[in-house]
Amino acid sequence: MAVLRGEQGAVQFDAAGSSNATIVGTRSWSLSTTKETLDISKHGDTFRSFVGSMISGSGTVELVYDPDATGQAAFLEDVLTTADPADATFELFTTGTTSGTDSVSFAGIITDMEITSTVGEIDIVTCNFITSGTITGNLE
Amino acid sequence: MAAADLNSIRATIEGRLATELANSPAIPVVFNNMAYEPTPNSSWVQCQVDFGSNEHLAQGSTANARNRIVGLTVINIFSAKGVGPGANYTIGKRIRDLYNRVIVSGVFFDAPTGPEALASPAPEGYFQTQVRVTFEFIEEL
Repeated sequence: MAVLRGEQGAVQFDAAGSSNATIVGTRSWSLSTTKETLDISKHGDTFRSFVGSMISGSGTVELVYDPDATGQAAFLEDVLTTADPADATFELFTTGTTSGTDSVSFAGIITDMEITSTVGEIDIVTCNFITSGTITGNLE
Repeated sequence: MAAADLNSIRATIEGRLATELANSPAIPVVFNNMAYEPTPNSSWVQCQVDFGSNEHLAQGSTANARNRIVGLTVINIFSAKGVGPGANYTIGKRIRDLYNRVIVSGVFFDAPTGPEALASPAPEGYFQTQVRVTFEFIEEL
């Protein structure tokens, strides 16, 4: 068991959803997963009861912008996909890049992209996404 | 990609200065770990390149990763004592123009600081100013 640091992480992506590849120059990623709940309390209950319902996720990938870096252009331009069928696939790694290991994978849609250029600083791209369909966790 | 070659970065920075100061009027320039005996009442330049802190810039451990390497170039300009600052600042402008916001071989130079006059020249017997230029290099692993 070991504590991990962010530099061990990685993001893999494929706009067509067929073969994920590492995006070079990712600075950070985050994923927030939410499970809705349904209130199943009955008349006469004195404590509320719930069951889990629909699960969804959203998050952010931050890139150190480099137009020549492998995978960046396809990733940040996916936001321009019209009538997006959510066929893009993501795999977010806490360490390494072995598919299905130390990662979370899902199909999703990039919902917004922001590129920032500031004097004296490195250009940064921030992409937000939402998941679509099953979220597979391999964080054990 | 490969790890940064710090000696190549140093050579880029120093080579730029050596080339400029070889132009007329030529000014002697001395770099780190070089012996030099200055001629009294002459102008000469000393250049020191130092690498400072590095930081993680992108994910990927040792593959597909990026690091930011930061450094400082300190350039001391010496000129004759007791004859005013003009000759010294003329050299200072040549040096400042050489690095001012320039990007060379992947080395990003910031806006230079100086020339600043130093109250206690080292070595003594000269009027000394100093130009300092911070620089960055993005290492691609």
